[in-house]
Amino acid sequence: MSKEAQLSIAERDFILEALREDVRLDGRQPDQFRPMDITFGEEYGHVKLQLGKTSLIVRISAEVTKPREERPFDGLFNINMELSSMGSPAWENGRSNDLEASATNTLDRVIRHSNALDTESLCIIKGVSCWSIRADVHVIDYDGNLTDAACIAIMTGLQHFRRPDAVVKDGRVIVYGVEERVPVALNITHKPLSITFNTFNDSKHVIVDATLKEEQASEGDLVIGINSAGELCYMSKIEGSPINPMVIVNKTSVAWDKVKELNLIIDKVLRTDLAKRAKVGMADESRAENDRLVATE
Amino acid sequence: MVGPTTSLSQLNRADGSASYKCPATGYNILGAVNAPVELPGRRDALKPEEATVEVFVKPGTTTAGVGERYVEGILRSVLGKVVLGREKGFPRRGVVLTLAIVGGENIERGDSYLTILPALLHAGLLAMMSASVPLSMTFAATLLCVTKSGDIVRDPSPTAAKAAVSLHVFAISSKSHLLLNESEGRFDFDTWELARQHALSICQGASDSSDGDVSMSEGKDGSLNGFIREAVEDQIYSDYAYKLDSI
Repeated sequence: MSKEAQLSIAERDFILEALREDVRLDGRQPDQFRPMDITFGEEYGHVKLQLGKTSLIVRISAEVTKPREERPFDGLFNINMELSSMGSPAWENGRSNDLEASATNTLDRVIRHSNALDTESLCIIKGVSCWSIRADVHVIDYDGNLTDAACIAIMTGLQHFRRPDAVVKDGRVIVYGVEERVPVALNITHKPLSITFNTFNDSKHVIVDATLKEEQASEGDLVIGINSAGELCYMSKIEGSPINPMVIVNKTSVAWDKVKELNLIIDKVLRTDLAKRAKVGMADESRAENDRLVATE
Repeated sequence: MVGPTTSLSQLNRADGSASYKCPATGYNILGAVNAPVELPGRRDALKPEEATVEVFVKPGTTTAGVGERYVEGILRSVLGKVVLGREKGFPRRGVVLTLAIVGGENIERGDSYLTILPALLHAGLLAMMSASVPLSMTFAATLLCVTKSGDIVRDPSPTAAKAAVSLHVFAISSKSHLLLNESEGRFDFDTWELARQHALSICQGASDSSDGDVSMSEGKDGSLNGFIREAVEDQIYSDYAYKLDSI
């Protein structure tokens, strides 16, 4: 199987007819996201995001490598998304498909090329060593709007992640373990997110955060990448039927509102989680039965 | 020692899924099974009378490499024997198992993949169960490491496993038969036999365990097979809940 089951004609008509009466299948407003739930794993940068029935896990990891020859001052940052048959039976393991290609491209453009993560801050010694940050996206349940969900999860992960502290002493790099020194947060320059719009009925009806069924019934999509300050960093209208230019102008401001809203949610969950971690960390240290490392100096 | 935890059928899209967490080694595995599915024609020609078991291991923070391919081979051979691929609706179809390592330390290239094998086996088995794939038996697997002093340690942490002289993974069926034996490092036959007996007592929870140190928190009788059996019982209970309600 290498294709999602197609929508029946009756279902398609139902979705389109309902939209003509401004009703969505799950009763949402056109500009409303599905309920979002962000949870964190034990380690830093481990994010589980649930957006309606779409669910994915993002893991951020760091290692020391050699920078690229032509960019000796820059660290490396990669986003890796492989769709496996866990997310949807239509995806074959070990083979890429169109969705994977387009979603990876969008994520790259929105997060990586807009320099959301300051790669210069990842440099340790010019031309010799730098940090390589890697974001792995595991899609475990797919019900539409993969790009936005992955974008939110990656941005949350990057803000949550702490890399080990590294210091240069006499030309040698010393990487301190998490127990030895407080790990450092990554330098985030701005917080862009992608917002995907789906159009129906000759772009008369435009909705955000489409479910899989809505995506299948839609005639075209429009992806806007924008940050909280309202700076547009990505816009694509790759395929599907044409969209009225006014719709694009209007929807850009809708996207801006959405991004501000989503970033507030992300900030809130991050703050709660970090506060929880700080408390646990302190409790661990003040425990009497804690076996302490014997000071060597 | 705290026993492993599992929860079945968490995912919506896959036919069956299981998440398995082993606190001793820190691994957290998410398994999903799609079965029976259509496979492209070129693949089912090998054994047309049976289902083809496909296994895909997705590491948490790297791209899959040689280590994953190796462990996929082991999993495929064990699960391929356990799955009843000739049942109605299964011949010429595929049983696709996807295992994602969603928690725990990363296995560096060149490190032993045996440390994660028991967790992968359990996650795979439980996911198969959640997808109602017909199985001939259940099994439990365990990892044992032999330290320099000759002690046999159960479920060593990745660092302890690295320092070990030899590593052994045993899978033992619900009927106490040895299903899988994978070993690494230097050891003699006596050590292996000792490790096997140890594994048998861990998996079966035999009361004649020599060291009396078998954990009591897992399953009803403290064994790994007991833990698996409990998961099966819970699954059957929820599958047949409609019948219970009508009594």
